[in-house]
Amino acid sequence: MPKEEIVEGVPLEHQALTLHELARACAVEPEWVVQHVQRGILIGREGASIETLQFTSVDLGRARRLAQLERDFDADEDLAALVVDLCDEVRRLKSRLRAAGMA
Amino acid sequence: MEYKDYYATLGVAKTASEDEIKKAYRKLVRKYHPDVSKEADADARTKELNEAYGVLGDPEKRAAYDSLGSGQYRAGQEFRPPPDWGAGFEGASAEDFFADLFAHVGGQRGGRQGFRMRGEDIHAVLEIGLLDAYNGAQREISLGRRNLKVNIPKGVTAGQQLRLAGQGQPGMNGAEAGDLFLEIAFQADDRYRVEGRDVYQKVPIPPWLAALGGEREVTTPSGRVTVTVPPNSQGGRKLRLKGRGLPAANSSGTAGDLYLTLEIFAPPADTPERRALYEQMQREIGG
Repeated sequence: MPKEEIVEGVPLEHQALTLHELARACAVEPEWVVQHVQRGILIGREGASIETLQFTSVDLGRARRLAQLERDFDADEDLAALVVDLCDEVRRLKSRLRAAGMA
Repeated sequence: MEYKDYYATLGVAKTASEDEIKKAYRKLVRKYHPDVSKEADADARTKELNEAYGVLGDPEKRAAYDSLGSGQYRAGQEFRPPPDWGAGFEGASAEDFFADLFAHVGGQRGGRQGFRMRGEDIHAVLEIGLLDAYNGAQREISLGRRNLKVNIPKGVTAGQQLRLAGQGQPGMNGAEAGDLFLEIAFQADDRYRVEGRDVYQKVPIPPWLAALGGEREVTTPSGRVTVTVPPNSQGGRKLRLKGRGLPAANSSGTAGDLYLTLEIFAPPADTPERRALYEQMQREIGG
């Protein structure tokens, strides 16, 4: 029988990621995060400077998708951001269609 | 564990160049992207494509995979690891055939150069029911040789990431383990629609309740409630139950609201008495 542990899942809204932790979780360099924050593609919050920014669930999900698009398609960062935004909109609209019994 | 033929997944020959592999992946991942694909198995295919490209798109991992397969295994065939396979490593994801090999290759590298390297983070999606988010829940997940029981706090929302520090891939040469990130997703449930912390639920009511108003008992995610339907309500009217959406995640947060959307249904005119009543309504009310 495998060993079994009980662990607490902590939402990132309670324990946010630092810039370096976000970079590690996305398998990118910290400079990649800085560059995306400076261009307004990633937001982060409550930081006096980029180095002290805090990143939560929305940022992690978005950053991972951006990094994958840029890597897999050699995509321009603004274009990747546009694709991620469009995908989010598609998901939102599909969810409304399902709710209306139309999908 | 079953051998997976990543070349077949991407539809390329074992001799394919890096460029051919990249082109094949790009073409297929566009075709099966869950947000645009009409294919029923788009999610599963995308996961397979990402796993295959994660290996074949990386020269070092591809070389390790090639040396492992060497043409002796076919997809689905029971795979027997070599004798020193994964020695000293634990915690590979059982869902990812290659996860053990990552650790294996990493182990060789670490042993040779003797440097410490933190374990990789693992990302996964955890599907839960809406009621789990209302009440909190415990879910068991399997990480190869380990099983974890994960406590999910109440008030989680779709898209929220739970961090389980130190539960990712183990580190090399005594370095710390990576983290496990679980992205929360809600199981499809036709009864509810969720937007952030607000929950929308349809409530069917008969025409006379809509016209005359009155009380209706409704089973909501947070329990049974009696709601008052105002007179002259039309279909689509929303009744707001403040604070009965998804609960706040902590004491400083705010719970969402529950919106009950009225849907008027007409009971069938399947007896002479009912038919007469409908005909009377038609005569006297018209419309």
